[in-house]
Amino acid sequence: MTYFPEEVVEHIVDFLGSHRDRNAVSTVCKAWYQVERLSRRNVFVGNCYAIRPERVMARFPWMKSLGVKGKPHFADFNLVPYDWGGFAQPWIEAAARGCPGLEELRLKRMVVTDDDLELLARSFPSFKSLVLVSCEGFSTDGLAAIATYCRGLRELDLQENEVEDHGRQWLSCFPDSCTSLVSLNFACLKGEINTNALERLVARCPDLRSLKLNRAISVESLNRILARAPHLVDLGTGSMMVNHHTEAYHRLINAFLGCKSLRSLSGFWDASSCCLQAVYPVCVNLTALNLSYAPAIQGDDLIKLICLCFKLQKLWVLDCIGDKGLAAVASTCKDLQELRVFPSDIYGAGTTAVTEEGLVAISSGCSKLNSLLYFCYQMTNTALVTVAKNCPHFTRFRLCILDPGKPDPVTDQPLDEGFGAIVRSCKNLRRLSLSGLLTDKVFLYIGMHAEHLEMLSIAFAGDSDKGMVYVLNGCKNLRKLEIRDCPFGDDALLKDVTKYETMRSLWMSSCDVTLGGCRALAAKMPSLNVEIINESDEADEFQENLSDLHKVEKLYVYRTVARGRTDAPDFVWIL
Amino acid sequence: MGDQSNSPSSSIDSSSSHPALCSTSSIFQTRRDLLSTDLKLGLGLSTSALHGCSSKEREQLSHWPPIKPLLRSTLEEKVHRSHSKTFFVKVYMEGLPIGRKLDLFSHSGYDSLTRTLRRMFRTTIICPDTSRVPPEKAHVLTYEDKEGDWMMVGDVPWELFLRTVKRLKITRADKC
Repeated sequence: MTYFPEEVVEHIVDFLGSHRDRNAVSTVCKAWYQVERLSRRNVFVGNCYAIRPERVMARFPWMKSLGVKGKPHFADFNLVPYDWGGFAQPWIEAAARGCPGLEELRLKRMVVTDDDLELLARSFPSFKSLVLVSCEGFSTDGLAAIATYCRGLRELDLQENEVEDHGRQWLSCFPDSCTSLVSLNFACLKGEINTNALERLVARCPDLRSLKLNRAISVESLNRILARAPHLVDLGTGSMMVNHHTEAYHRLINAFLGCKSLRSLSGFWDASSCCLQAVYPVCVNLTALNLSYAPAIQGDDLIKLICLCFKLQKLWVLDCIGDKGLAAVASTCKDLQELRVFPSDIYGAGTTAVTEEGLVAISSGCSKLNSLLYFCYQMTNTALVTVAKNCPHFTRFRLCILDPGKPDPVTDQPLDEGFGAIVRSCKNLRRLSLSGLLTDKVFLYIGMHAEHLEMLSIAFAGDSDKGMVYVLNGCKNLRKLEIRDCPFGDDALLKDVTKYETMRSLWMSSCDVTLGGCRALAAKMPSLNVEIINESDEADEFQENLSDLHKVEKLYVYRTVARGRTDAPDFVWIL
Repeated sequence: MGDQSNSPSSSIDSSSSHPALCSTSSIFQTRRDLLSTDLKLGLGLSTSALHGCSSKEREQLSHWPPIKPLLRSTLEEKVHRSHSKTFFVKVYMEGLPIGRKLDLFSHSGYDSLTRTLRRMFRTTIICPDTSRVPPEKAHVLTYEDKEGDWMMVGDVPWELFLRTVKRLKITRADKC
């Protein structure tokens, strides 16, 4: 090979952003590996147990931004026990030792303690951005440490975390010298906030563009904040409880009139229909709207609001919008790319206001739609076939029929053909969630057509091991497979064990796999961690005493270069 | 078969004999039916329909639909509100050492509340929007909020008041 100077390689590699490209470059030869690793600034670790933190820090000493994910996705739905693992501590400690130049940290589904946050705050002098998503284990004391010690903090983004409330003084810990905030999101906090401190903080941060308040912030306080930060681009309101004929309501109208840069709105806790009118002036410019925490807003008022939002690209709503509301979305929001319709009545009588009709309407009106999450009580094959034809650009398609195993109500058939149409038509589909009555056939279709599928979620579906095998054989790009309550057993699990090395992880709960099958998998594949989560009364039994025929409650398999893990609790057995 | 006597931890106990649940052969069909029943029975679940399941299995089945905790608690709150519930707070009147207790949820708004208090304490209670000059003997209703501050009752919407009030005090009008 002709001599290719390292400086040139460095220069070229600098242009590479994507992890995939950089990973590919690093495998070419030793020289390129070195160049790449010293120039990588953003590091993403999709599974915190796939590698030890020290190795990551040693390989990428100049990293500026680190992202780590912990618990498996089904932890969002309480399927993973509280103390399973996913601790941030070793990552923060290793970074403090190995990469003191770290500027950004993003953690998802991990356990983060106040001590971790304090260590973080004190260890990285250039730290700029902390994003915690679906994490737990910390309190407002940890936030106080971040506020106190992170000079030059630009972003503190807390999304859907479980945070213990130890009082409202944490916000006052931002020193008067802190003027650098660009993004602040504390919407998930349950406790009261020192509103004076918040207003002063907002006033002294001229670059603040994204602010998401929690439910404890009243409309009066929101008014004062908006008066000081009219240049906000992204706003999450606090509680929107306000009466029409009050001073506060009139000030709210004026406040929104002043927000010329607002493009994204969320929050709306306790919002009733009468407060929506205050928001009308900003609707014409909105590109993102999240009304999923406002169950009191009725369909007709939602429609009046939506009809003004013709630039909307992302919409999250509750199903109170109804099929009629979705039709209004379809005729107004021609730029819509992402739609999420959440259930509002999870204990209800078995009907929602949205059905397959709403989805079909959306698909015919919004041709740019590429990401969908849709909860409903019924779906038909015909509707899915129509949707597939209208919207071939789906990259994420998640349908949740609330009644598990429900067939097509018109034909009483399984929904195999409908989902089959989706995977055939949407050539770029990367993520798929299935529901309704489904046989092995749907998996045959998925294996045959879903070439780019990376993540598949299955619940209450399939007839036999064949279903799972079709998927494992067919989907070459599969990274994450999560299955609950399906009749897949050891035969499927062990059919092609090397497949799991090409994937990030496999989750199976309430299926038919046995301890024997899992032991066999672990024996054949030392490059995988085979974790059994066993919380039943028999957990007192040692794993050795249980027979191979013992059915496994929860199985989590993932590839790793770090054999086993030392922090697993009693009820997690690593085979 | 001897093997199958090993009770599987993840599936429904095969000895559950509730007729409505075991009509189909596949265990997964049973589980699906159970979840449907679960959903239809609503919050006040009839225990008889589910007696065949262990409490752990019940808990597992309730991890459906797959929505995140924040959304789930917001929706559950809406449901709890519509079930009758009580919210008793202490009420003191200035000068009287012994207080009373009052269920705020049983009132629809400020009018209803002041009517009850007038009856309970036999005094005239002035609301903030009354423009006439209060006579010497009248009282004003105040409340302690979550932040520990004492505020005049009536300024904020009723529902917001319910979420922030900790207790009530009837003080003399000339003190405010």
